[in-house]
Amino acid sequence: MPIFFRLKIFPAILALSALMTGFSLPVAAEDFNLAGLVRRVEQQYTGQSSISRVEMDVVTGHWERHLTMESWSLGRERFLIRILSPAKEKGVATLKVEREVWNFLPKVDRVIRIPPSMMGGAWMGSHITNDDLVKANHIDEDYHFTLLAETAEQWTIEGIPRPDAPVIWGKIIYQVRKEPLVPIQIEYYDEEGVLVRRILFDDVQTIGERTVPLRMTVLPLEKPDEKTVMHYRDLQFDVELSEDFFSLAELKRRR
Amino acid sequence: MLYQLALRNIWRNRRRTLLTLSAMVVSSALLILSLGIFSGMLYDMLASATEQYYGHMVISAKGYQDDRDMFLNFSLTTPLEQQLERKEILGYSPRLRGFGLLSHDQESAPGEILGVKPALERGVTGLADALTAGSYLETGDRNGVVLGSGLARRLKVVPGDELVFVTQAADGSVGNDLLEVRGIFTTGDVGHDNALALVPLPWLQNVIALPERIHEIAVRTDQPLNVAALAREFRARLPSGLEILDWGEMLPEMREVVASYDVSRLIIVIILYIATALGILNTFFMSVMERTREFGVLMAIGMKPGQVRRMVLLETFFMGSLALVCGVLLGLGLSLYMAEVGIDLSGTLTPITYAGGTILPRLHAVIEPGNVYIPASCLLVISLLAGFLPANRAARMQPVVAIRED
Repeated sequence: MPIFFRLKIFPAILALSALMTGFSLPVAAEDFNLAGLVRRVEQQYTGQSSISRVEMDVVTGHWERHLTMESWSLGRERFLIRILSPAKEKGVATLKVEREVWNFLPKVDRVIRIPPSMMGGAWMGSHITNDDLVKANHIDEDYHFTLLAETAEQWTIEGIPRPDAPVIWGKIIYQVRKEPLVPIQIEYYDEEGVLVRRILFDDVQTIGERTVPLRMTVLPLEKPDEKTVMHYRDLQFDVELSEDFFSLAELKRRR
Repeated sequence: MLYQLALRNIWRNRRRTLLTLSAMVVSSALLILSLGIFSGMLYDMLASATEQYYGHMVISAKGYQDDRDMFLNFSLTTPLEQQLERKEILGYSPRLRGFGLLSHDQESAPGEILGVKPALERGVTGLADALTAGSYLETGDRNGVVLGSGLARRLKVVPGDELVFVTQAADGSVGNDLLEVRGIFTTGDVGHDNALALVPLPWLQNVIALPERIHEIAVRTDQPLNVAALAREFRARLPSGLEILDWGEMLPEMREVVASYDVSRLIIVIILYIATALGILNTFFMSVMERTREFGVLMAIGMKPGQVRRMVLLETFFMGSLALVCGVLLGLGLSLYMAEVGIDLSGTLTPITYAGGTILPRLHAVIEPGNVYIPASCLLVISLLAGFLPANRAARMQPVVAIRED
C-alpha cells in the first residue's frame, strides 16, 4: 500500500500513466471532482433524506434467507433500519449515528452498542459489515482518487486510502457510468492488494429527480457460492425527517 | 562370614559412617525434591493449557479445530458415549461453541461462549476451582453464565447481573438471549480470562439454532503426557467424519515447549546428578581410601584380594541402600509437602502465558515414579563404584606396600 503513496509523489509517473490512459486533465483539479463523483455514488441511496423498503436475500453455503426491512436516512451520518420479516426477527433494528452503531433486539428488549472490535462483523447475517455502514459515507474523505481509465460511456476510478485514514480496504476501484450517472461495479482490495469483494449494481430507475440502480449485489470473492442481494422497493427521497428521529427511543419502537 | 565382617566394619567407625550416610541422604533427598519441582512446573504449564480449556484430547468433526467453523458439528451418540467409558478416561465433556457479542448496559465485548453440561465439564476442566467470585453453573441451570475476570471487568458485571449474547445463528438469523452472571473465574491465561464464558449447553444450542448438536468432546485422561497412544487407539474406532486430536496436536507450540523444557530439564538434571554423585563419590571414596592399611593387614593374614573387593562392595551396598531408603523417604516427604502446600510466589512474580500454557508463580512438586527410582538406582551404582575403585586399588597392592601406605 505505501508504494501507491510513493508513486503519487512523482508527478512524472502520474503524467505518464495519465497519458497511457488517455487522460490529460490536471490531476489536482480532477481529484477534487473524482471525490465528488464518488460521494455521489456512495450516497445515491441516502441523498438529503430518504425512506425505503428493502428486500435482502442472503445466500451462503449453509442457508438462504430473505428479509424485508424498512429504512430511514438523513444526510450521511444518520440512518435507521428495521426488519419487518421474517417473523422471528421482526423488530430487530440497527441505528447508525455518525460513527456509532447500535442494534436493538426485541426478543430480549435490549439495545447493544457495537464495539469497535466488532465493526468487521456481518450485519444482519449478510455480507455487509458494520464497517460498511459506518465508513462508506466517509470514503470520499478517507481515500485519494485517481482516474484509471475513461471511455465514452464510463469512468474507472481508483481510490487509495489517505495515510492516516482509519480504513479497512487497501484499494477500491469504481466503475461509474456517465449517462445516467450511476455506478456499475465497485471492487474492494485488501491491504495485500487481493481483490476480496465485488459489488454490482443494476435495475436502474429514476426516482423523482434521481436515477439510481435499485439492486445491489455483494459478492464475497473468497466464497464464490455466496452473495447478498439488496433490492430497494419503495424508495423516496427528500422526505420530512429530523435528527431527533434517529434516537435510541425510535430504535426500540416496535411496530 | 563376609557379611558379618562388612556389617561390623560399618559400625566400627560410626562417625565416618554417619558422615557418609548423611551426605548421601541429604543429597538424594534434595535431588528427588528438585526433580519433583521440575515436574511440577511442567505439569502446571500443561495443566493450564489442557485442564483449563482444551482437555487432554478433543473429539470433533474433521477440520473443526482449524477454523472453528460452526457448521462442522455432530451429535453425541450412545456408541460414542460407551466408547468414552473406560478407566483411562477420567472425564469427558460435550461442548458447543459460539462466538458473538456479549453486552451489559452500555458495555459490550466480543466473547467465546462454550455451551457445557456443568457436571461433565467439571470432570475435564478446573475452571470451577478458579472462581474468584460467585458460584459455578449448577446442573439444570437454564441461563447462567460463568465468565473470565477480564471479560467481566470490561462488561462491568458482577454475579447476579444480566448479560445479552448476540450472534449469527446457524440458520443465518440473529440469535440472541439473556444470561445471568453466576460466577467469575481467573485462570491467569489472559486470552481466556478476557474472552471465555461458560453457559448451559441447551441454552446455547437454542440460541445458535443447533439443537442436539455439539462441536467437540473434551476428554481428560489419567496420563496427560502419554495421551498420544490412547488417541491413536480411539482414532481407529471413531465414526467417520470425526477426528481425535491430543493436546500435542492441538497445541503444537505447547508440545515444542514441553520438548524444549524436557531438554533444559535434562541438562539441569544431569548437572544435579553430577554434583550429587561427586559428593557421594568423594565421601565414599575417601572413607574406603583411608582404610588401605587395614586391607593390607587383612590380606597379610590371608584374605584374598577378591574377598576384599567383595567385602567393600557389601559394605557400600549396605550403606548405600540404607542411605537411599532414608533419602528417598525424606525426598518423598519434602515433595509431598511441596505437592500439597507448595510455595506461593505470586507476591513477587506474575503468571506468564506462553504457547497456550500458563506458568503459575508457585513452587509446586509432582511425584512421579521416574523421579524417585532413577536417581535412587543411579546413586546406588555411583556409591558402589565409589567404594569399589579404592578397594580394587588396595586389593591389587602387595600387602606390604598397602600396610606401609599412609
